[in-house]
Amino acid sequence: MSNAATQTNTGGLGRLIRRYPFLPALIILVLLLALNGIFEPRSLSFRSMTGLISTYLALMMLAVAQTYVVFSGDIDLSAGSIVSLVNVSVIVLMQKWGGDGFAVIAACLAGALIGLACGLINGIVVAGLRLQAIVATFATSIFFTGLALTVLPVAGTPAPEAYWTTYGGRFFGIPFVFYAVAVVAILLAILMRMRLTTQMLAVGDDQQAAFQSGLPVTAIRIKGYVFCGLFAALAALCITGDTASGDPLVGGKMTLYSVAAVVLGGSALAGGFGTVTGSLIGALIIGLINALVFFVGTPSEWQNFVQGLAILLALMTGILVSRGARA
Amino acid sequence: MSELIVRGARKAYGATVALSRGDLHLKPGEVHVLIGSNGSGKSTLCKIVAGSVKPDAGEVLLDGKPVTIDGPRAARALGIGIFYQELSLAARRTVAENILLPAMPVKGGIFVDRTELEERTARIIAEFQDVAGEGFAADVTVDRLRADQRQLVEIMKALASEAPILIFDEPTSALDRAQVDRFFEILSRLKQEGRAMVFISHRMDEIFSIGDRVTVIRDGATVASSTIAETNADEVIRQMVGEREALSAESKPPVPATAGEPKLSVTNLNGAGFRDVSFTVGKGEILGFGGLHGQGQSSVLRAIFGALPHNAGTIEVGGKACAARTPAEAIRNGIAYVSGDRGRDGTLTGRPILENVTPIHFLRNRLHLARTGALATLADAPLKALKTKFQDIGQPVNSLSGGNQQKVVIARWLIDRPALLLLDDPTKGIDLAAKSDLFQLIRSLAAEGMGIVLYSSEDAELLANADRILVFNSGVVTRELQGDDRTRYNLYHAAYEAA
Repeated sequence: MSNAATQTNTGGLGRLIRRYPFLPALIILVLLLALNGIFEPRSLSFRSMTGLISTYLALMMLAVAQTYVVFSGDIDLSAGSIVSLVNVSVIVLMQKWGGDGFAVIAACLAGALIGLACGLINGIVVAGLRLQAIVATFATSIFFTGLALTVLPVAGTPAPEAYWTTYGGRFFGIPFVFYAVAVVAILLAILMRMRLTTQMLAVGDDQQAAFQSGLPVTAIRIKGYVFCGLFAALAALCITGDTASGDPLVGGKMTLYSVAAVVLGGSALAGGFGTVTGSLIGALIIGLINALVFFVGTPSEWQNFVQGLAILLALMTGILVSRGARA
Repeated sequence: MSELIVRGARKAYGATVALSRGDLHLKPGEVHVLIGSNGSGKSTLCKIVAGSVKPDAGEVLLDGKPVTIDGPRAARALGIGIFYQELSLAARRTVAENILLPAMPVKGGIFVDRTELEERTARIIAEFQDVAGEGFAADVTVDRLRADQRQLVEIMKALASEAPILIFDEPTSALDRAQVDRFFEILSRLKQEGRAMVFISHRMDEIFSIGDRVTVIRDGATVASSTIAETNADEVIRQMVGEREALSAESKPPVPATAGEPKLSVTNLNGAGFRDVSFTVGKGEILGFGGLHGQGQSSVLRAIFGALPHNAGTIEVGGKACAARTPAEAIRNGIAYVSGDRGRDGTLTGRPILENVTPIHFLRNRLHLARTGALATLADAPLKALKTKFQDIGQPVNSLSGGNQQKVVIARWLIDRPALLLLDDPTKGIDLAAKSDLFQLIRSLAAEGMGIVLYSSEDAELLANADRILVFNSGVVTRELQGDDRTRYNLYHAAYEAA
């Protein structure tokens, strides 16, 4: 009934966070940038920023991918394996087709299709067959990794020069990765306005209510996984550009980082609430933490320890900021 | 214009038959009341028509033609809209998005048409704007709304379907009188437009003020159907309860209060949503809280129970100061609290009945080991005293009807008797027979000397059961009604006057 506590006290910050749920993440991001600047002034240069983005563009893409399944209350533990599978497939196809410009484009398209197919399989297994998302996508992750290992058993085949020089190159004086970021931003702005996004969030909010409202719940969840597969493929293309080689295990470690990025960005893992922008910021936070760990000169054996601690701190700061705004 | 006929609808969940023979004949231009005690199968029948439950047998005819309703989407395509009793809202979405969630307006095939969304929802919200209360707006997320406001959103969502057939499964249980009046005005208008509507409510006055025909369901089967003019409240209650004695809480005079030492005294209590609340509850007294919905009654009870903070004032239980900061502290001080919002405050959904009856016993006695046999014996007596219907004490509590779930929640407080019982609209969504059982118990508890505070959104319940009534308005007590002052007129008057 009248729960006055939830009714009143809409402070300025509280209202801002309701409108822009990724605000706490943005604050942490700025804080980390400042810390990086203090410990290594050169880290804020244009060149370093370019380096940061080209390294972490893949994780940003994967965080976006993960967000679309988390919206409807699902999770995809195979996202990283899809990255691996697409990475090795693209490398092998480019090599097979001759490595010229046409081969590169054709291989990228094929990679995107492979990502879509993986997403579709996940969607059918989780939403269609109604298996538990965590366990089912864990199983498909092993399956996708297995496929990747048959496509390219050993890491090392290099990407054609045309590919990585484009990814690392500049056009009209601006690095390629910035164009990539711009295209993704436009794409996300379009996706945000789609009815499907609202429907995914409604499904994540309360699946039964969404079903009773007449929404095609299964189809919506499957579409979420297809989006996830597609963006995972884009992540693979980025990582291929960054590492310039094929590696059947390259994405494995990225899965849980993508989940962490989604949560750091202010989305609810239970679904129904969140923004893609937040996830992008979350991925950058992880990137900046890794950079900071390096810049403060942490001894190598302590780096994992400090990195984990820093991510925990970032999570807590985010929660404290949003809670402080609510109370 | 649509005419809907349901014949011999049947639905069983395992061994439990929810509906054995559901018949309904819904004509255009009528408000058709569906009535029956909780668990009699009304909601199941409605959900079959709305497509969210698949019947095991039976047929549905729409304008004379047999139809199969495969799911909620198919139902909407056939022109059937529904208000779900348990609501079908997405808490983190806005009011506007929720209202049009089933048919979100699009442009370009895939994008949400925000302008259209705003215009259409603004029209629907405008009809309720002056009764919706503070904080209600199109762009507010549903989780920021009060229970009555959420119910209004669900009503708007059903209305927005513009379906020729509309089903309202207990749409008024959380609404105050002004909101109900507005809703009824709209129903009357839709009736003139020739829409066919099913209306479910446990409030007799509502049924007789808006209904055209009434169909009674008992134990999963349709037992009677007649026009409102041909029947009356007593008749309907007799049909509902069948062979059982037709008990009506309203007809019983209250047991006179035995004055004595105060069980509870509250002085100048202040908190979010209420201020300067002072009162005492004597030994064996039933003190009523009245007034419109959400005027601070629940907040005061929750503050005493330690579930909401209070920032000034004193609370004494049995002469000892007791400013509980958590419910656990309040419970150890002998305070019991039963809320009408069972899902939030009462049942441990999905867990066995036994586990739902014993948590307070565990807390008060600081037990750590569960001995199922001994506990079952302990739990048996209060469940029996409340005439709770269940097959097995190990069955999940949510397999019971609303009324029986509430009895399980109340039973947990009866193993170790509290000194003070706080009832926060305890009969919300409970059938008349269960209500009557509850109030019998409450009176006998009072006779044993327990202090009881009863907040009820139904005036009839208050008038029939409370020895004294405090009327709340905007968070303050505006009037105290005693003895012969406890009349419906005085209660309405005090509730509506400006604070």
